[in-house]
Amino acid sequence: MVYTKKHPALLIMGIIFVAIAYLADSGGISGLIDYLKAGKYAGEMVGMGYAFGAVAVVVGLWHLAGSHEEGNLDYYMSTVAGAIFILLVAMLVRWYLAPLVALISTGLGPVMGAKYLHQVLGLNYVVLGIVAGIIIVNVFKIPEWAENGVRLSRFGLKTGVILLGTLYSLAELQSLGKLSAIMVGFFVLGSVGLVLFLGKRRNIPSSMGGVLSAGMGVCGVSASVAAAPVVQAKAVEIAYTIGTILIWGVGCMFLFPVIGHILDLGHIQFGAWAGTGILNSAQVAGAALAYQPDGIETLKVAEIFNITRVLFLPIIVLWLAVWYVKQEGGETTQQVNVGAVIFEKFPVFVLGFILMFALSSTGVFAPAQHYKGKYFDNNVKQSMLLKDDQISAVSSEMGKLQRDDRKQALKRMLDNRKVMTIDDETVIRGIYNAKVLSKDANKVLKGATKAVRHTAKKISKFRQWITLLFAFGLTGLGMQITFASMKQAGGQPLVIGGIVGTTKAVLSLIVILFFVSETI
Amino acid sequence: MKVKKIILASHGTDGARAAELAAIDLCVEKGASLHQLLVVPDFWKGMMGDDWLNNAVTQIRFGNYVESQLAQEAAAELERMTQACDQAGINYSNTVRLGKPAICLLDVAGQDDFGLAVIGSPRPKGVEGYRSRMDLELLARSLTMSLIVVPYPKP
Repeated sequence: MVYTKKHPALLIMGIIFVAIAYLADSGGISGLIDYLKAGKYAGEMVGMGYAFGAVAVVVGLWHLAGSHEEGNLDYYMSTVAGAIFILLVAMLVRWYLAPLVALISTGLGPVMGAKYLHQVLGLNYVVLGIVAGIIIVNVFKIPEWAENGVRLSRFGLKTGVILLGTLYSLAELQSLGKLSAIMVGFFVLGSVGLVLFLGKRRNIPSSMGGVLSAGMGVCGVSASVAAAPVVQAKAVEIAYTIGTILIWGVGCMFLFPVIGHILDLGHIQFGAWAGTGILNSAQVAGAALAYQPDGIETLKVAEIFNITRVLFLPIIVLWLAVWYVKQEGGETTQQVNVGAVIFEKFPVFVLGFILMFALSSTGVFAPAQHYKGKYFDNNVKQSMLLKDDQISAVSSEMGKLQRDDRKQALKRMLDNRKVMTIDDETVIRGIYNAKVLSKDANKVLKGATKAVRHTAKKISKFRQWITLLFAFGLTGLGMQITFASMKQAGGQPLVIGGIVGTTKAVLSLIVILFFVSETI
Repeated sequence: MKVKKIILASHGTDGARAAELAAIDLCVEKGASLHQLLVVPDFWKGMMGDDWLNNAVTQIRFGNYVESQLAQEAAAELERMTQACDQAGINYSNTVRLGKPAICLLDVAGQDDFGLAVIGSPRPKGVEGYRSRMDLELLARSLTMSLIVVPYPKP
């Protein structure tokens, strides 16, 4: 089969990208950019516009005029059209639609404290990108020339997670790893157990209980896809379950950020809650980026929870396989091959994440002793030195400190108007985390530590790529969520899924509010 | 009304089974042959939703598994109808299509000189089953033959 379509779409998209880059570079759309307050994206419009535009024009010409024969070249090159299609949608949303929504929302005035409507609803470029994807697939359909490439979105997300490995410190990974193992372990096993228990009470078949419990407990549709053949689920059971999980996941992606803003959850608290309570792992990332659009701290926490969940997947599938064989009296299925299940379901991209974390820890991407990709250097500009009023604000509160190491570190900072050593920085970070001083003094300390931390250029690039890869991946995944599949939600899975999903979301929120602090 | 060929859209639900019985009776009465259209709904194409965690092996396994399940269900339905038509002494043939029910029916109905189309009634609310209904308005507008909608069987 020849996959490449002789179609001008890719060439046209390339010309659009180049036109955007040219207009942004030459000032042709500066009025629009100023109006939308999208100046921070002007560099992207030029750089990415020319880069993606060039690729699309060259490959687009080949698509249109070249002769295509069956083979690897045809297969892989055919994906470019779909990938550029996703990118164009994602970038148009990021550069123009999301700023327009923010502008309109700001014009309406604050709706919750100082927050505007788009902030409360998390209507940023990520969520709007997913919504755009959902609208495209359900209203216009994915064009035939883009179908093959749209599936690349999952590689975007996996690559994003792998690159995310560069941004963690060992301490952070240990703390988040422990927290996620406890939370996910409890709630995954709890949800699976609760579904199987309710399923027995409501007399649903073992196969339906199996496929539903995987989806409700582990990572949504992905887990149901992995478990369905193992528990020999019937077609209608799969349809009911996946429909239920998709509706629940999309609903949670919009609902969680709103509740998070109402409760004023911190980044760690929200990331942990979304990572535990939202069924579908794609929507966990979507909700995390919706909650914190201008940073990736929430995403970092949520993704650790996602990774922990996916590491549970082979274990749960194995458990369900054994459970199903037992339920069916060991007659209907072949013996469970433990090694094959673990090997087949193991998420290989997690190894990439670990590899990038290990490489980052060696200092390949940032100078030694970096923390979260930032390194210490107190050669700061004159303008970044502490001002007299800042020094007096802190020195007036020195008496509140008890420990000598804290007093001395602070004194050295005040004498030199900047943080002097990396050890001093750690101590000063401890002071403001302990919240011993007033808010104003803490603000000065935070500013002083920020001034001596510099983001490594490579890490900065990684951050940019991670954001783009997630925007690309989630917009593409949006293009795979059909209303027709969501409409299949029903039957016992909808009832049991509703009970278990709500219980998990509420209980995990309570646990997080009471036991998870904002400091790791 | 003289009818030589009747087309029946059926996929084994209670409503469709009522339509099957009616279609067989009509074929016997008119001496017509029966062609069954079985539609596998196209929502299955989107049934992997936003799965991105699984590797290709798992996704292919899932795809093959669902395909085999649907094929088994379709084969069982067609076999049941074959036997019923044999017993009634009716000339029977069938077509299996992936797509939207009404569009498939219009397409297949246009490929032969059918004189009558028979379908079941929509499933009453609360009855479990796939959400993939026949678009009656589209059929009423586009079908070029008589259409019989058989009432849903009383419980």
